[in-house]
Amino acid sequence: MSSPLIYVESCPVCGDGLCRIRVCVQNQRLTGCVLCDECEAVWTDPSMEQRVSRDPNSDEPLCPGCGLSLWDNHVHWANIGEVCLLGWYDRVRVVTGRGD
Amino acid sequence: MTTRARNDSAVNARRMLPMKWAVAILGVVIAYVVLQPRLNQWFGWSLPTVASMVGDDKPLAKKTPKKSEANLTATKDQLDKVGQIKNQEEKFSKKKTNTEPPETDEAASRSSRPSHDNRPTTPSNTATKFKRNSDEDDSDPLYGFLIEVGRGRYESPAGLVYGPGSEEGHRLKHIAKHLEDQPNRPGSHGVFRGDMKAFLIAIDDTYTRAKNEAKGTTKKDDDGSVVYEVTFEKTIGFIGGEAGEKKKNPAAKKMRLVVRGSNVITAFPF
Repeated sequence: MSSPLIYVESCPVCGDGLCRIRVCVQNQRLTGCVLCDECEAVWTDPSMEQRVSRDPNSDEPLCPGCGLSLWDNHVHWANIGEVCLLGWYDRVRVVTGRGD
Repeated sequence: MTTRARNDSAVNARRMLPMKWAVAILGVVIAYVVLQPRLNQWFGWSLPTVASMVGDDKPLAKKTPKKSEANLTATKDQLDKVGQIKNQEEKFSKKKTNTEPPETDEAASRSSRPSHDNRPTTPSNTATKFKRNSDEDDSDPLYGFLIEVGRGRYESPAGLVYGPGSEEGHRLKHIAKHLEDQPNRPGSHGVFRGDMKAFLIAIDDTYTRAKNEAKGTTKKDDDGSVVYEVTFEKTIGFIGGEAGEKKKNPAAKKMRLVVRGSNVITAFPF
């Protein structure tokens, strides 16, 4: 059974991507952000009010917490527990059986 | 007493010297381990991993595929060389398994496509999508269109570069997701009508038209990325995903291309 797909909304930048919760776990610290899975635009939280500026020298979206790529191995799509820990559960939509 | 103390300090110095060297060497090794993948990624180098140097890992040298496998995934082999898709391999294997049966989601969605839609059948098998033509060898351009310009980096005739990145591990794998519908995906999902080569040509066309500010093109800067939108004269695909399905998969005549510099982030019809 696949994990649920958790997202905030369709991407306001590219229109095709889903803005999903990406979490970085380092030194027992959980950092969350919102990442478009299509155009890789990044926001600080599900309010989608504040963008995380991209490093002009990097093609990859960077974690606002550790500064490493959001596609690195220590970063992953949030599960429901992590979304709750971040206090964002009431800001996301959860679609069961369609995640990856 | 003084002589003895002097002797002791000399012995200690001799003991410390190798320790200092050991620490220095250890520091260099750690720095190399940390920086090696980054340097390879940034500069397209092929520095070997420490594991491969001590013989615990596969060397970066290209492995020769068996003849029976040679045609299957030439792109996969090339991407494997830089170790970018190891993790993605499992995902694609799962995907491939899912799409292999005749009645897949893709097939089902095709059967429910609107009657006005004369989309050609695109390969649903992921392995097929990355297949070279049988008369091509590794020295040929990828898809007969892209030239390798660095480890895992491919350049199109218009100057667009497809390199490592995205959730899938490589931009080519990412845009390949737009060759088939994902009817269960929330929102819309642009699907290109045609195969990978035709898609790459259309993306190049989009880029060229947009750079020349041709009629029907727009350009929007977004935090270092540039989003180009180009309207084509003919239908290039359709709107898939849940939103597209609700609207009976309307035809798409526009292409949206997101780049950073000349590096492709994504592209899809809409």
